[in-house]
Amino acid sequence: MPRRTPGPAVVIALAAATLLLATAVPRPTRASEAPLEFTEQERRQILSLGPWPPPFAPDPSNRASGQPAAIELGARLFVDPRLSPTGAVACVTCHQPDRHWTDARARARGLVDLPRNTPALANLRLQRWYGWGGGADSLWLASLRPLLDAREFGSSPATIARIYRLDADLACRYRRAFGESPTTQIEQPVDVMVNTAKALAAFQETLTTGRTPFDEFRDALARGDAAAAARYPRRAQQGLKLFIGRGSCIACHNGPNFSNGEFADIGIPHFIVPGQVDAGRYEDLQRLRASPYSQLGRHSDDAQRTDAQAMRLAVLEPRHWGEFKVPSLRNVAVTAPYMHNGSLPALRDVMLHYSTLDESRIHASAQPLLRPLRLAPQDIDALLAFLESLTDAAGAVRPRPAAEGDCDAAAAAAPSG
Amino acid sequence: MALSPVALLPSLAFACTPAMEGDGVRTIEGQRHVVSWRAPAPLPLAQFFAIDVAACARDGSRIGLLRVDATMPEHGHGMNYRPTVESLGDGRFRAGGLLLHMPGRWQLSFAVGGETLRAALLVD
Repeated sequence: MPRRTPGPAVVIALAAATLLLATAVPRPTRASEAPLEFTEQERRQILSLGPWPPPFAPDPSNRASGQPAAIELGARLFVDPRLSPTGAVACVTCHQPDRHWTDARARARGLVDLPRNTPALANLRLQRWYGWGGGADSLWLASLRPLLDAREFGSSPATIARIYRLDADLACRYRRAFGESPTTQIEQPVDVMVNTAKALAAFQETLTTGRTPFDEFRDALARGDAAAAARYPRRAQQGLKLFIGRGSCIACHNGPNFSNGEFADIGIPHFIVPGQVDAGRYEDLQRLRASPYSQLGRHSDDAQRTDAQAMRLAVLEPRHWGEFKVPSLRNVAVTAPYMHNGSLPALRDVMLHYSTLDESRIHASAQPLLRPLRLAPQDIDALLAFLESLTDAAGAVRPRPAAEGDCDAAAAAAPSG
Repeated sequence: MALSPVALLPSLAFACTPAMEGDGVRTIEGQRHVVSWRAPAPLPLAQFFAIDVAACARDGSRIGLLRVDATMPEHGHGMNYRPTVESLGDGRFRAGGLLLHMPGRWQLSFAVGGETLRAALLVD
C-alpha cells in the first residue's frame, strides 16, 4: 500500500529544521561581569537541578523500551495516519517535530477540537504520570489512550491490527521488534494494539533534550569553576535567584527535569466552556483506575510491578480536583502556548499570571504558598532570561535516525535484543 | 523534642528501647510508646523512598501495627501517596512509598497503639 504520510526520514529532516529554529531562539551569549553570590542553601538548590542529561533507564513495563527495532517501528507508526480509521490523524498531527513535538495551538485538535493543550514530547522517561491529568501511568498507555479516544484517533484494536495485514513491511518490522507476527496474533488484536503503543513509546523515549546554558552554569558551580560560571549571563542568574527564592518556583519545578512529576492548582480557570469543567487530576486518576491498561493490568511486562508503585499507592482526594501536571521547564521557551488549556500565549503572560494571580480562584485546600509575586518588570525579564537558558542550544529534540529500506523477513524471524 | 513534666513521668516509670541503633537513627518519645526511625540522607525530593522504623510500648505490650504518614502543615496538604508498612517482627517495620513532592518543612507521623508520634523533616 503506498504511504500517504511522511516517513521517518521526513521526521528526521523536520527535526533538523527544528535544530535551525532552536539556534534562532534568543539565548544568553554575553559574558557577565561576575557571578552573583549564592548562599550555601541556594547552591544546594541549584545543584539539585542537575546533572544533565540523566542516564537512560529502560521502562520495565515495556519490553520494547530501548530496543532499536521497536524504536524504528515506533518512528514509522508515529507518522502513520492509518492508526486512525478515517486516515485523518497521526501522532505527528499534534506532536510536530518542527514545533518541538507540540503543535503551537492553544488546544489540540484530533478528529474534533479538544479541551487541553498538546504537551511537548521530551525527556519522557523521567515522568511518573503522563498527560495533564496523569491519565496514564506509562508512556505506552499515554500512546494508547489517544488511539482509543473517539475524539482523537477514534481507533480500535481491529483497525490497528488491520494495518499490519495490509502492509507486509510493517508486519515484518513488528515481528522484528516483538518476536511474533501481528498477523498470526489475529485472535489477539488487543495485544497487537498494546505492542503498537509500546513501539510508539520506545520511539518517544528517544526524544531527549541536550545540555543548556543553565547546565553549564550548574556544573561550573559544582566544580567551583568561577570563570566558567561567569559566562552565564548575570540576568539569567538573577532570574535563577528569584526562581529558587522569592518566586518559590522550585517548590514544584524541582529536580533535573524541573518538575516534581506531581499536580497542582495554580489558579487557571477550570471551565472548558460555560457549564463544563475540566477536573484534571481528580477525573483522570479515576479513569486510569478503571483502565485495563494501567501498569497493574496484564499488559505490563514488569512481572514484579516495580514501576507500578505510584499507581498502587496514589491517593484521590478532593484537593486533586482542578489540579494539573507540573510540566518540565526544559525547552519551555520554545513550546508556547502555556497551561493545560493553552490559555497563556507567551512566557511573559505566565510571569504576569504568577505576578498577579487571583488567590480566590485556587480552591480552599490548595497550597497557600501561591501568592501573587508582584514582580517588577526587571524581575520578569530576569526570570525570562533564566527560563530561556533552559533551551537546548544544540537542537531541542533529536530522534535517533531510523534505518530506511525494506525489512529483512528472514532476520525478523528472531526478535532483536 | 521537648517533653512536658507530665509526659516525662511515664517514661521514667516504664522505659522501653526500640530495636534500632546506628548512624542516622532518630527517636521520638511518646507518652505510651517510643519510636526510632532511619531515613535516607539526604532525603530525596519528589522520589519514592523507604524508612526503617522500630517501636516499643512502655507497658511492654507487643506492637503489631503501625501507620506512617507525612504532611506539610504550612501548606495544608499531605503526600499524594499512601505509604505501605511491612512488619518485620519484634517491633520493627519497613515503611515504603513515601514521596515528598515539595521542598520545605514536612511532618512525619507514626500512629501506633492509639497514639500518634510526630517528627519534623526538612527537605531541601
